[in-house]
Amino acid sequence: MLELKHALDAKGHCLLEMPSGTGKTTTLLSLIVAYMKAHPLDLTKLVYCSRTVPEIEKVMEELRKLMNYYEKEMGMEQNILGLALSSRKNLCIHPSVSKEREGKVVDGRCYGLTASFVRARHAGDDAVPVCNFYEGFDAHGKEFPLPPGVYNLDDLKEYGQAKGWCPYFLARYTITHANIVVYSYHYLLDPKIAEVVSKEISKNSVVVFDEAHNIDNVCIDSMSVKITKRLLDKASNSIQILETTISNMKENDNRRLEKEYQRLVEGLRDANIARETDMALVNPVLPSEILEEAVPGTIRTAEHFVAFLKRVVEYIKTRLRVQHVVQESPAGFLRDIHIKVCIDRKPLRFTAERLSSLIRTLEISDLTDFSPLVTVSHFATLVSTYTKGFTIIIEPFEDRAPTVSNPILYFSCLDSSIAIKPVFNRFQTVVITSGTLSPLDMYPKILDFHPVIMTSFTMTLARPCILPMIVSKGNDQVAMSSRYETREDTAVIRNYGNLLVEVAAAVPDGIVCFFTSYLYLETIVSSWYDQGIIDQLQRHKLLFIETQDAAETSLALINYIKACDNGRGAVLLSVARGKVSEGIDFDHHLGRAVLMFGIPYVYTQSRILRARLEYLRDQFQIRENDFLTFDAMRHAAQCLGRCMRGKTDYGIMILADKRFSRADKRSKLPKWIQEHLKDTNCNLSTEECVQISKRWLRQMAQPFSREDQLGISLLTLEQLQSEEMQKKIQQRAQAA
Amino acid sequence: MDGNDQTCPKCKTTKYRNPAMILMVNACGHALCESCVELIFAKGSGACPECKCALRRQNFRIQLFEDPAVDKEVDIRKRILKEFNKRQEDFSTLREYNDYLEEVENIIFNLVFDVDSTNTNKMIDNYKKENKDITMKNRNRQSQEEIELEELLEAEKAQQSEKANSYVNAELEEKKQKHKAREKLIDELMFSDADAKSIVASHVQATAALAKEQPKAAAQAGGPVVKSSKFSSGIQIGLRQNTSSFLPIPKQQDLPLFHYSAPVFDYNGPSPPAIEVLGKLKYFANIRAANATERAGGYTEALSCCRALQEAMGGLFYIPQSGHKTAVAASAEETDDMETA
Repeated sequence: MLELKHALDAKGHCLLEMPSGTGKTTTLLSLIVAYMKAHPLDLTKLVYCSRTVPEIEKVMEELRKLMNYYEKEMGMEQNILGLALSSRKNLCIHPSVSKEREGKVVDGRCYGLTASFVRARHAGDDAVPVCNFYEGFDAHGKEFPLPPGVYNLDDLKEYGQAKGWCPYFLARYTITHANIVVYSYHYLLDPKIAEVVSKEISKNSVVVFDEAHNIDNVCIDSMSVKITKRLLDKASNSIQILETTISNMKENDNRRLEKEYQRLVEGLRDANIARETDMALVNPVLPSEILEEAVPGTIRTAEHFVAFLKRVVEYIKTRLRVQHVVQESPAGFLRDIHIKVCIDRKPLRFTAERLSSLIRTLEISDLTDFSPLVTVSHFATLVSTYTKGFTIIIEPFEDRAPTVSNPILYFSCLDSSIAIKPVFNRFQTVVITSGTLSPLDMYPKILDFHPVIMTSFTMTLARPCILPMIVSKGNDQVAMSSRYETREDTAVIRNYGNLLVEVAAAVPDGIVCFFTSYLYLETIVSSWYDQGIIDQLQRHKLLFIETQDAAETSLALINYIKACDNGRGAVLLSVARGKVSEGIDFDHHLGRAVLMFGIPYVYTQSRILRARLEYLRDQFQIRENDFLTFDAMRHAAQCLGRCMRGKTDYGIMILADKRFSRADKRSKLPKWIQEHLKDTNCNLSTEECVQISKRWLRQMAQPFSREDQLGISLLTLEQLQSEEMQKKIQQRAQAA
Repeated sequence: MDGNDQTCPKCKTTKYRNPAMILMVNACGHALCESCVELIFAKGSGACPECKCALRRQNFRIQLFEDPAVDKEVDIRKRILKEFNKRQEDFSTLREYNDYLEEVENIIFNLVFDVDSTNTNKMIDNYKKENKDITMKNRNRQSQEEIELEELLEAEKAQQSEKANSYVNAELEEKKQKHKAREKLIDELMFSDADAKSIVASHVQATAALAKEQPKAAAQAGGPVVKSSKFSSGIQIGLRQNTSSFLPIPKQQDLPLFHYSAPVFDYNGPSPPAIEVLGKLKYFANIRAANATERAGGYTEALSCCRALQEAMGGLFYIPQSGHKTAVAASAEETDDMETA
């Protein structure tokens, strides 16, 4: 809290690592809200970004508790408005549209009912359907702002139902004057969405990125484009649709096209004015030069532009017809496209903007079919805008199946700082926080910013409730490691199996195991089956396996939880970087032990990764190995953190690889794990590990009441105000 | 998928049945497979089976794109752009340049879709005649954009090869050093008489110090040494590094000429006599005449006399109003207050 206040005072960015389950969200919310109340001029808004919808809901719950507390203590209604925002899919209350399952379909149908020209048509002809909720919102909603309070997604829906207003548009409209906004990363980081949603958030806001250990990958994904053959075929189809629509329109009503033409001659000035007055967040996809200039003459009329798009798509098709892997820079690509189909850089840069303008003019209501073409246009704009930090990789087939031709063009962003730069530049304080951010110094480097505060916190615990151990060898003294040379070794696989069996016999309830990849998981399980280890394991616990299929995995998870709940006990085999390792909590009896088999390095042969490593090395002086280890360790830490979700929880963390005991790996674990990792526990064999865990489990199984924590990790108001404690706090503050 | 649905319109062979089939296109934009071309155009020229226009065999090229129409368009485009190669620098405003670009695009469009071809061809001929010089000149000149791209590519190439080398070297060096250190430790443990613990401790310290030093050194060097592209004077080495070969001459802005007008004083009293007539009016009779040294410095008695007169007469007509004071009076009063205080 102290550090956070420093950062707010300094109006700088900060990077905080706080263990999960120690009240991270509450701390952030309560301090920032209090700060907002104390300095209403310096700080007007809190934007809280989280990853998934359940996490957003959790934040809203915390916020509601906080507001209730304020009300109870201060005895009056608080004048603070907090709301959650999610996609149309989660907020739609239209009777038929909300039945759709897929997000894109909902977006498309919503657009078909609420676009301005559809509504104009409805005014003339009642047969044209529109969304009544949106009409209601448009007619009345803008005059009556949402009364202060805390609204989660369900509240918004309820409110919308009661008033007959569309909750999605209500929420989006309310963002501009709400005090606290909670939504997903993408609304801020993905330039295509940020342009629409977060453009007008004021400068003196605090932005919090929670669970941000993967933020660099989110940034990169939001700027990267992947083009497959199928996507191009679909894009060709939509070009044809555009062509016919244009010719139809030419025959019937030429005025709109002419109007658009006149506007384009004048240039895209409106957007530029907004940017100059600092009203809008800068969009990296829409570089400033574009706004200053008029659309080049080559793509000014609609027909020319469609022919232009056709050439672009056909050109990319020819590029996909390769026999071997091609890697080139954007500059090389631009030169080639100029030679082959005579396309200059400048019109390419305008493609995305021009396409959206054309779609708007043609009044196409079903946008779902056009997403492939939009993707291509984004690619065209990006490739011509950025000559640095990007690379183009064309692979004729996948690595796993070299005989099946499946050409893919990856336009991959190598520099995670490009997407997040506007956020750092625009907002006065950006807080990046997660349970596992170690090593901290890597993040400022790869995101290219200067934090004023960078701290890793530990937990104050009444009892040693985590037990991290590094198991480096089996009972037969064969070293355990998932190194490439030894991973096929039967002795290593058997040792891993024995470790799991013995731990399963000693630990009650649920055990979660993480492997380095799906491939490795499958090979190990099959050889365990041959060696009879699976049978031994099933004598103790039920076995569940995560697969790449999301539905199958969630079924396995439900049954795993069932087995843990009724006391049968279960083992879940899953994969680091998979769905289970990110965002599913195994608190209390669901995860009494986590086993990490091997170090979860990324697949290092991937060309995209290679290109990124090279870029990091050249631009930021980060060595390949450093980055790979950093990436592996943050995922390992993320997996280990799954079993520890609070101070009353307890769990064993077993790192089963010899390489974990090396200093360079160990020091990259989060501080709160390192603290409990004693030197004596760093080079254990299976037997020793089981001995230690048995003793520790017996100790942990003792009844643990609230009173035990008092005074150590939990303070009453009297204890907090006692002189001794105040002195301690003073000391801390001065030391910091 | 994957071009397997390509068919020759004449013999109906598909790529699926004959993977070796190659489609060719000619100026009219209709595709034919290679064997059909040989059959029909055995004599060297003939008519396109689809549009019946006369074609030459030599002009058949392998079809690059899936859509033969695009092949045709690109072909025409390349031909036209050879003539219409004006650059943005040739126009005074961006608007004109954009209009020109659109014009070119229109011409290409007309040619591709055979709209109004006689007029279009006439226009092309006219343009050719009118702009012969510029066209010739521009052919040998690369546009600004192209130059930029070329430069980028060159820089990339140079950087890549150099960095790759230096990093490999650095890594090798590091490995060697580690190896050496370890061997040294083992040697010491084997042969020296000192306590084994102290030897190990000193070794650990040495390696830690080394590890600390290395990132610093790397940071200082900024990775591998970047080959300088500038002389010490700041002039760039190499061709085409300078995008503009001449410094732009700063344009001077034309301001209106300065006209002198004598300042008008508002005495707020009877106007004092002008400095020229003071002598005639015998004002100097009561004033000490300026001596030689003072006159040499530019002082005359007229100056002080004139000043005294102005002071004496200035503000005589001023009447302080009781209701609202003018600004001058107020400020005067203020200064008075200050003095008294």
